[in-house]
Amino acid sequence: MTTLRSMLMVVGLAVSACAQDDAKLRTYDNNDLELAVGNAAKMTCTCRFVMQMDDAYCRDWVRASPNVARFEVDTTNKVVTASAFISWTARAKFVDDKRGCAIE
Amino acid sequence: MKRLVIVLTSLVAVSASAQMCRARASWPTTAWPEALVNRDAKAAELKALEDYAFTLEGQPEERKGLRTNSLVVVKNGAIVYEKYARGWDASKRHLSWSVAKSVSSTLVGIGVQQGLIDVNDSVCKHLPDYASDPVVCAITVKHFLEFGSGLQWQEEYEDRTYQVSSVISMLFGVGRRDQVRHVLTHRKLHEPGAMFAYSTGDAHVVSTIAKKALTAKHGPDAFWTQLFDKLGMTAPVFEEDVSGNPLGGSFMYATPRDFAKVGFLMLNDGCWADERLLPVGWVQKATAVSDTFRAARGDCSGTKAPADTFQLPCEDTPNGYMWWLNRPPAAGAEKPWKDAPDDTYAALGHWGQRIIVIPSEDLVIVRTGDDRQGSIPVNEVVKYVLPVVRP
Repeated sequence: MTTLRSMLMVVGLAVSACAQDDAKLRTYDNNDLELAVGNAAKMTCTCRFVMQMDDAYCRDWVRASPNVARFEVDTTNKVVTASAFISWTARAKFVDDKRGCAIE
Repeated sequence: MKRLVIVLTSLVAVSASAQMCRARASWPTTAWPEALVNRDAKAAELKALEDYAFTLEGQPEERKGLRTNSLVVVKNGAIVYEKYARGWDASKRHLSWSVAKSVSSTLVGIGVQQGLIDVNDSVCKHLPDYASDPVVCAITVKHFLEFGSGLQWQEEYEDRTYQVSSVISMLFGVGRRDQVRHVLTHRKLHEPGAMFAYSTGDAHVVSTIAKKALTAKHGPDAFWTQLFDKLGMTAPVFEEDVSGNPLGGSFMYATPRDFAKVGFLMLNDGCWADERLLPVGWVQKATAVSDTFRAARGDCSGTKAPADTFQLPCEDTPNGYMWWLNRPPAAGAEKPWKDAPDDTYAALGHWGQRIIVIPSEDLVIVRTGDDRQGSIPVNEVVKYVLPVVRP
């Protein structure tokens, strides 16, 4: 019993230490969906129009967790629009051969 | 009078020799010369290298193990080994991730050589639109070059909750439209120069300082006219956010052969052909353990301060001006890359991007990859390449 109590105390202290550690961290006003669509738009744009890899390669290249973003590639205007569910979208556009893509 | 002339002549000669660049039979500005290793004579060494670097594990969708996209080796100024895989070839530009930081540092060196930047300048001198707060103005260019801004920064990637990642928020989230403002509005956590904290944000600021200084004199394409074009890089891309800040912590793209030219510039002490692009002593300074790193790590000899006085473990790989160094933490201690020569230094990027420079071997190694489970160790790359290129 004493052993169990000691173990629980150690676990408790460890959890508490982690919580304190995380409490020191700054958090940002992003949600995962916003980041997912931003990542998908930007990384797909550069994969296709800067690195000039094909569609299949780029779909694997940008795959991230959570893998919820869907994207459309406008090869004429070199624009990638990514979306997740209804509310979240991001757009990245190829600027030129020196400056690559920028996320808007 | 005669003695004075002799003294002055000697001083001029000493000065000139300090400025002189290493003589090379040729420079790869137009194209890299090739002197490929003999595949028969080096069959065993090449097999060992390629088995290590190019053998894939599992199914592609599992993203297991090392996933090398290219490996280019330059010895004595010529390409001696080159191999591409997974759909890549010599014409394709590859994402650098944090290799860009070392390029950004080099661009500041160009500005210093041209008298446009002093590393002791306040950031506020170069970025007045962003920084006027006295706390921020106390941070110098050198502090940023040494990852020593002291600004709070959480360099977290895919393995932690995205909401605590300063870098993911900057690149894809709330900070994406003006990434330098995102960096400079973080609170001060340490005195500048007191704590080494690896930060893509610091590198973004470094590249933006370089851009402001160089474009004021040379126009918007200054990175190209003042560095990339001079090296003959074919099509490097240096991305910007929508506010025009270059994203020098992450988003540069070039072919492996072009990345090798960055390493070759460093290998040649900042000279290219007959032109000195980087100041005398810049490469030495950029590849020596930085003042910030020393301050944060302290003396690892075990004879001075207790370990808890300092916040960096002695085992950490030291850094100069955004170049990683194979320097032991103390005399007699093990160096970070034990099979590599002491003078090895490297630009290192996420997913295994590497530019490795070994002056004592007259060697530059470029490796691009897509390692999603850890990154290829520098030590192993060097360990397998050296037997291939040594006589």
